[in-house]
Amino acid sequence: MAELTLNEKRLLAALKGKAGKVVDVPQLAAAMEATPEAVVQWAYLAMDKGLVHLDRIVDKAFVYTDEGTAYRTAGLPETQLLRAIGGAGTPLADLQKHPAFKIGFGQLRKKGLIAVKDGVVTPSAGASTADDEVALANPRAAGARAKELIKRKLLTETESVRHTVTLTPAGASLAAQGLDLKEEIGTLTRDQILSGAWKNANLRRYDIHKLPKTVYPGKSHPYQRLIDEMRQILLEMGFAEMHGGIVQSAFWNFDALFQPQDHPAREMQDTFYLKEEAPLPEGWERLRDMHEHGGETSSTGWGGKWNPDKAKQCVLRTHTTSLSIQYLVNHPEPPVKAFCIGRVYRREAIDPTHTPEFEQLEGIVMDEGVTFRHLLGFLKEFYQRMGFEDVRFRPGFFPYTEPSVEPEIYVNGLGWVEMGGAGVFRQEVTAPWGVTYPVLAWGLGVSRVAMFRLGLKDLRQLYQSDLEWIRNSPVHAPAKVGRRA
Amino acid sequence: MAIVSLSYKYLEWLTGTDKETILKRIPMIGSEIERIEEDHVDVEFFPNRPDLFSVEGAARAMRGFLGIETGLPKYSVKPSGIKFTIDPKLADIRPCLGSAIIRNVSFDDESILSIMALQEALHWAVGRGRSKVAIGIHDLDTVIPPFHYTASPRSRMFVPLDFTKELTLDGILAEHPKGRDYAKIVKDFSLYPLITDDEDHVCSFPPIINGERTRVTTKTRNILLDVTGTDQRAVNVAANIICTAMAEAGATIESVEINGVATPSLTPTERTVSVRECCDLVGVELTARQMAELLEKMRFGAKPVGTDRVRVQVPCYRADIMHDWDLFEDVAIAYGYDNFDVQIPPTFSIGKEHMATMVSGQVRTILSGLGYLEMMPFTLTNERVLYDYLQRPRSPHVLHLMHPISEEYTVVRTEILPLLLEMLQVNRHRELPQRIFATGDVVADLLTMQHLATASTHPAADFSEAYAHADAVLRELGITYTVRESNDDAFIDGRRADIIVSGKKVGIFGEVHPAVLAAFGLEHPVVAFELDIRAAPGYPSH
Repeated sequence: MAELTLNEKRLLAALKGKAGKVVDVPQLAAAMEATPEAVVQWAYLAMDKGLVHLDRIVDKAFVYTDEGTAYRTAGLPETQLLRAIGGAGTPLADLQKHPAFKIGFGQLRKKGLIAVKDGVVTPSAGASTADDEVALANPRAAGARAKELIKRKLLTETESVRHTVTLTPAGASLAAQGLDLKEEIGTLTRDQILSGAWKNANLRRYDIHKLPKTVYPGKSHPYQRLIDEMRQILLEMGFAEMHGGIVQSAFWNFDALFQPQDHPAREMQDTFYLKEEAPLPEGWERLRDMHEHGGETSSTGWGGKWNPDKAKQCVLRTHTTSLSIQYLVNHPEPPVKAFCIGRVYRREAIDPTHTPEFEQLEGIVMDEGVTFRHLLGFLKEFYQRMGFEDVRFRPGFFPYTEPSVEPEIYVNGLGWVEMGGAGVFRQEVTAPWGVTYPVLAWGLGVSRVAMFRLGLKDLRQLYQSDLEWIRNSPVHAPAKVGRRA
Repeated sequence: MAIVSLSYKYLEWLTGTDKETILKRIPMIGSEIERIEEDHVDVEFFPNRPDLFSVEGAARAMRGFLGIETGLPKYSVKPSGIKFTIDPKLADIRPCLGSAIIRNVSFDDESILSIMALQEALHWAVGRGRSKVAIGIHDLDTVIPPFHYTASPRSRMFVPLDFTKELTLDGILAEHPKGRDYAKIVKDFSLYPLITDDEDHVCSFPPIINGERTRVTTKTRNILLDVTGTDQRAVNVAANIICTAMAEAGATIESVEINGVATPSLTPTERTVSVRECCDLVGVELTARQMAELLEKMRFGAKPVGTDRVRVQVPCYRADIMHDWDLFEDVAIAYGYDNFDVQIPPTFSIGKEHMATMVSGQVRTILSGLGYLEMMPFTLTNERVLYDYLQRPRSPHVLHLMHPISEEYTVVRTEILPLLLEMLQVNRHRELPQRIFATGDVVADLLTMQHLATASTHPAADFSEAYAHADAVLRELGITYTVRESNDDAFIDGRRADIIVSGKKVGIFGEVHPAVLAAFGLEHPVVAFELDIRAAPGYPSH
C-alpha cells in the first residue's frame, strides 16, 4: 500500500471506532480543525487506498424569487384576478385596472379558466387556481407544476453538494494498529535546519509522477554549438586559430590565390563588390610577375597584363582562404597549422539551400615533408570525428591548389555528398611570399554539416531562427549520422 | 559550369567499354555526375579541362584512364595550301586569329548539336563569354579561299545566321538576339571585326554571329574553322580542342597559313619533370617508370630519363598544364584518389584559440547564465532596419554593396541590435519572456569589429533589468565603466544610458522606444543592450 500522508492518517484517527458509520464531512472537519474542502481531498486520497468510502450527495432545494415570495402571501396573479372577476363576471375595461391584470389575465386565458364575451369576462365552470397555489406553497411535492413556476421565475432550483465519509474495514484495522501523527513538513525552512527541528520532522512525500513545469535554460545557438565542436576538434589537433576582417581587397581574396583577373568567379554576378579600395601590400610586384609569366617558378603564368587597380577593389570575402594566405605571409617559416571558421559571402539569392552569407571552415598545414596524402588523412580524420564514418575523395579543381580534391561523405538516404574543397597551394600562390614548403589547405562547408547533424531542411533556420527550435534543441546532441549500410 | 551530355552508345563505341564501367569511373577522373538518363549521362567537368567538354574528348581521356589506350594521341596535320590574311587595323580591336580546315566530316542532327554545345562550352570556359575567344564553324564548300580577317566599317551588310534579310553590323547588334547579347564586346570600336572570303562573301562577324550563307548542315563535308580573340594562347587552345575532337570522330585536319605560319600545329609541348618532386608533393613513392606509366594513362607522352626525370609530352589540347605540379596532379589522379593510403599530417604543434573567439565564448557563457538564448542573424541588412526603424541617423561609415541581390540586403551591419529586434519580430507568436542575444562581426568603413547585443521582452521588462544585465556582462568581462545620459533615439528619454570606458562610448542600454517597437510590430516592452567587445581588457586589435 502506498504511504499515507499525515492528513490521511489524521482522517483515519478521527474516524477511529466509527467503522461502517456514515459521518458528515462538516462534522469531521470541525473535529479535525480543518476546512470541509481539505477533508474531502484527504478522503479522496484515502478512498484510492480503500481505507474510507466517500459519498458525494447532491441536495436539491427550491428558493423563492422576490416575485414568488410576494405571491405566497398575496396569491398568484391569476388567483387575485379570478377573485376580482367574481362568479358573475366583470367588464374587461374594469378588470384592466387591476394591478395583477397583465400577468393574471394571460395565465387565466392560457389555463382556460375564463371566457370573454361582449367585453365581459366570466369564469368557466368550476374555475380554480388552487393546484397552482398548492404547488407554490410546497414545490418539492409539485413535480411538473414546480417546473412551470421555475419557468415563470417565481422559483429557482439550487443544488448543494455534501459529502459523507465511512470508514471501511481496511481503514478501521489500520486505525486500530495505531498511526504516527507527527507533523509533516513541505518546504524545509532555514529555522528547521538551524534548530535541528528537521530531525523530528516528517518530510512530506511528494508525488514524483506529477510532470514538472517546463523551464528553458539560456544557451548558445545549436549551430554555434556545432561550430564549437569543429573548433574543438581542430584545437585538439594542434591548430592555431586565425581571425580577420570580412572586408578584403581583391588582391588577397583573388589575386594572391592566383585567380586570373578575368576569372568568372571574380565577376560581380558572384561576388559582393564595394566601392572602397585598399592599398596593395608590399611585394605586390612579385604577384604581378607570377600572374603575367610565372615569376621564377616553372609556371607559365596566365599571360596578358595584370592590372593593379583591379586588385585594389574591396569585396566581402568570398572565402576565408584570404585569411590563410595572409597568415602565411606573416608566418612564412614552418611549421604552420592554422584554422578559422568564419562567415563568407557569395552573391546568391536566398532559398532553402542558399544564403548570401554562410560559414566556412578554413585550414592550412605548412611543413617540411607534408604531402597530398596527409591532406587526405586530415580530411578523413576530421569528418570521422564529426560523425561521418564514410569519407571518399574525388579530384577537384581550384585555381590556387594543385593537386585539388573534393572530399565527399556518405549520408544515409542521400548518398555521397560533396563537402568542400582542398588541395596543396600552388607554387604560384606561395612562392611570391617566400614560403618554400608545401601548404595543405582546405575550405569546407559548415552549414551543410549543420543540416545533416541538426536535421534541417532549410538553411534559413540557422540565421532566422525560431525560438521554439532553439529552446527544444538539446545542448548535448552527439552525431548519429549513420554509417553506410 | 560546363555540363556535357554523353550518349552511352557513342561513348561505348568511342571508348570500347561498357556503360557501367564508364559511370563508375568517370567521377574519379575529375567530374561530377549531374543526371543519369536512359540513353545518356550529363556530366559536369571542371573549367580547367575544356578538352573534356565533348564526347570525343571525354572518351579520349577515359580510354587512357581505363588503360584501354594510353600515351600521347597522335594527330597529323596536312597543309591545305589555303591562306588567311589579317588586317593590321585589328591590332587594338581583336588581333588574334586561329584557323583550320577540317575534311571528311559527316554530320547528323545530333552531332551538329554536339559540336555547337562544345563551341558554347569553350566560349564560356576559355572565351570568357566570347570576349577573349570566339569560334566560328563554316561549310567550306560555300566559300572561296583565301580568307580575310578585316576591320570593317559598321555599315557593311550581310545576312546573319537565322535571318533572311541583310542587316548592317550595327543593325545586327541592335536586332539579332546574339547581337544584343554580345554587343558590349565590340560596340566601343569604330570598326568591327569581319571575316570574308575572296569574293567578299561574309563568313562571320566575330565574336557576334556567323553568316547564314556558310551554315553547317547535315550535307556539310568540309569545314572552315575560325577562332578570333584577344589572347593568342587561348585562341590556339580553343582551335586545338575543336580540331582534335573532330579528328577523334574521324575527320582529317589541314592547316591554314596565317601570316606565313601554318596553323594549327597540334604538336605537343615538352616538360621534363622531377620524380622526387612529384613523390614529395603527392606522398606516394614512385619510380620514374611508374610515374611515366601513370602519365601515359592521362594521355601524356612520358619517357623516364635516368632515375629522377621524366620527359613529358603535353598534348596540344591540355590548356591547364602551366606548371610541373599540374602534371603531378594528373599522376595522383591516375594513381587513383581512392587508392591512397591516407595519413594524418605528422607535424606536431600546440593548438591555440584566438583571443577574439575566446571572448565571444565567454560572452555566450555569461548570457546563457542570465537566461538568454543565442541568435545568429545575418550580417547583411538594409538601412531601413539598421537606422530608420530605430530612429537613428544613417551612418556615413556603413558599407554599401555595389550590386545587392535584393532590397533586404544592401549594407553590412554596423550594429547588431536592429537584427535582434527583427528576430523578436519573427518570434512574436512565441512564449514570453524572450531573452535573446547575438555576438559577431560588425563593419564600419573597412574595419571589422565584434559587438554583442541583447534584447529582452516581457510585460515587466524595464530599465532596471537592462541595467542589471548590462552591469553583469560588463563586470564579468572585467570592464570598468561609467554611464551617462544617452541621446540615442532608439531608447526612451530618461531610460537610456551610454556606457563609457576611458572617456569613450562603447555601448548603450535602456528601454527601447515605443515608436521603435511599433516599427518592428512588437507589442511588449523591450529592454536592450549593445557593446563593442573591444572594450574587454586585452582584446586584440587588428
